[in-house]
Amino acid sequence: MRILLCEDEPVLCDQIKRLLAAEGRVVDVANDGQEACFLGLTEPYDMIILDLGLPILDGTSVLKEWRAKNIAVPVLILTARDAWSDRVDGLDAGADDYMTKPFHLPELAARVRATLRRQAGRTSPFFEKGGVLLDTRNARVTLNGVPVDLTALEIAVLSYLFHNSGRLISRTELSEHIYSHDSDRDSNTIAVFINRLRKKLGHDLIQTMRGRGYMILTD
Amino acid sequence: MRSLRRRAWVSGGLVSLIAVTTGVLLLYSFLESEALQRFDLSLRERHTQAVVALSRFADDPARVDEVLLDPEYDRPASGRYWQVVGPDGEIYASASLLEATLPLSNEAAPDLAIHDAQGADGEPYRMAHQVITLEDGTRWEVAVAMALAGLELDRAEARRSLAVAFSLMVLVGLAGMVAQTAIMLRPIRRLRQDVAHRWEKGEVLDSSDYPEEVAPLVDDINYLLQRNLEIVRRSRQQAADLAHALKTPSAILRNEIMLLPDREQVAGRALDALDRLDAQLARSLARIRTSNTAEASNIRTDVTATVQRFSRMFSKLAANADKALTVEATPGLSLRADPQDFEEVLGNILDNALKWSRTRIVVTARNHARGIEILVQDDGPGIPEEERSAALVSGKRLDASVPGAGLGLAITAELLKAYGGKIELQRSEDLGGLAVLVIWPTAPTQLAG
Repeated sequence: MRILLCEDEPVLCDQIKRLLAAEGRVVDVANDGQEACFLGLTEPYDMIILDLGLPILDGTSVLKEWRAKNIAVPVLILTARDAWSDRVDGLDAGADDYMTKPFHLPELAARVRATLRRQAGRTSPFFEKGGVLLDTRNARVTLNGVPVDLTALEIAVLSYLFHNSGRLISRTELSEHIYSHDSDRDSNTIAVFINRLRKKLGHDLIQTMRGRGYMILTD
Repeated sequence: MRSLRRRAWVSGGLVSLIAVTTGVLLLYSFLESEALQRFDLSLRERHTQAVVALSRFADDPARVDEVLLDPEYDRPASGRYWQVVGPDGEIYASASLLEATLPLSNEAAPDLAIHDAQGADGEPYRMAHQVITLEDGTRWEVAVAMALAGLELDRAEARRSLAVAFSLMVLVGLAGMVAQTAIMLRPIRRLRQDVAHRWEKGEVLDSSDYPEEVAPLVDDINYLLQRNLEIVRRSRQQAADLAHALKTPSAILRNEIMLLPDREQVAGRALDALDRLDAQLARSLARIRTSNTAEASNIRTDVTATVQRFSRMFSKLAANADKALTVEATPGLSLRADPQDFEEVLGNILDNALKWSRTRIVVTARNHARGIEILVQDDGPGIPEEERSAALVSGKRLDASVPGAGLGLAITAELLKAYGGKIELQRSEDLGGLAVLVIWPTAPTQLAG
């Protein structure tokens, strides 16, 4: 799952990025409102974390711009101000949730998980199919109760397919959601990851629709 | 003397007293002398009549009374008398004198003399007296007298009229003074009301609505009010900026500890210290807010609109968690408070309800006898009665397993106290969870006492 983090405080940014990466998320970072606005408009994110106090263009304006251009990605706003007005304005502008600084990282992680789950139409933090279990809280995968060691990109592929269970995902879409925007994207490597996942988790989990993409079937 | 009204009354009263007293004295002495002159004129006329009568009947003075026709001359002791003394000393007098005579002095000058005298029975009268020489060379003394009782009656009558007239004048004057004082003081009374109700009319008073003597004062009041508000805003802004500046590093420190690989060993004490830091920060910020509520309370806050706006936001958040929030707010509710303070109170209570509710939150806002009542109920676990007061005290968290500094309700309670309002935690009769009842006075002083 690919997340855009819009935050101007570099240390905080790095911490949130580490936290989310540890859960198998791919994180792009925007340090000012203008960059945030551009990335939000051009890249297909699964979720956006937006600080309202961004330089150049404030968070609320960025959010309004996205919503005006029909970008429907769930947005979690961060605010350091005590003024409730900011939060109300943010939610009025189309945010889905808010957190006030200072927040606890585990709580942010929980909110992110909850938001992504809501997007997938689920209430449980677990995805389970044919003995394979993905715990989104810590990005751990087990096969019939036995832990399986997966790389970050393998987890990203599995997580995206699980979150979009029942939907056919093209290689391009998959690569857009597992790579950050500054990395070299090669959709040919997707087939490599799928093969590795099949080797580690069994061949029945991920279905291949020849020439069109991949899919985890719903029960 | 500190009352303008009393000052106006006393000074007006003194001026009126001096004016009326002077007027009374002048008019009284004028009327006195006028009455005396009239009296003397009448005496002179009577004397002339007597002289004319004598000159006609000089050869038979006993007939003089045939010409002096006033019946009072015939009525005994009537107070009107005449007397003629012949060259040989024989006395002719009006019947009214009975056996008495007027006290004549023989050295009387040939000019008419008028003077006061006293009758044998002690009756005071005024007498006109002259020695005249007729054509035949004989010298006669002619005198007429009138009792002063008549003059006194005239004077008493004049005094009475004067007293009535001046009493009326004093009454009209006093009424005028009271009315004038009221008219003069009306702009000041209005200014007082306007200052008290300036939040309804917007923050600035219009000095062109006041007389030119009061207008500069209105401008000064406007300046002071604006300045006061500015100072409060600035100090609040500085506090908010300080909080912002401290919160981010605090969050960074906390996160760094959370991300440590072996955090179990070091995290506890460090996180406790950070919790204390955050709580202290929130408390100080709340205290800065609560210490300035009086200055901030000249702003009108639209309660209904704020409740609806917040309910809309929290409905969205509730829906995310598969919960439902319903709101019922009487239209047109408003109160005197900084909108940010009201939002802080409402936001904290709704945040708390959202955190603890299972499926439902119900918000109602309506008028209350002492202000505005806001009730937020949820179907969560509620707070046992014995723990409710602790929930309203700074820094006491009832359940550390749910995120938050545990300050929301405490800050709310302190803010409300500063505005003279109150917060009560109860068991929700309708939903079974917690019911938070807030009563916020429409005017800040209403509940303070």
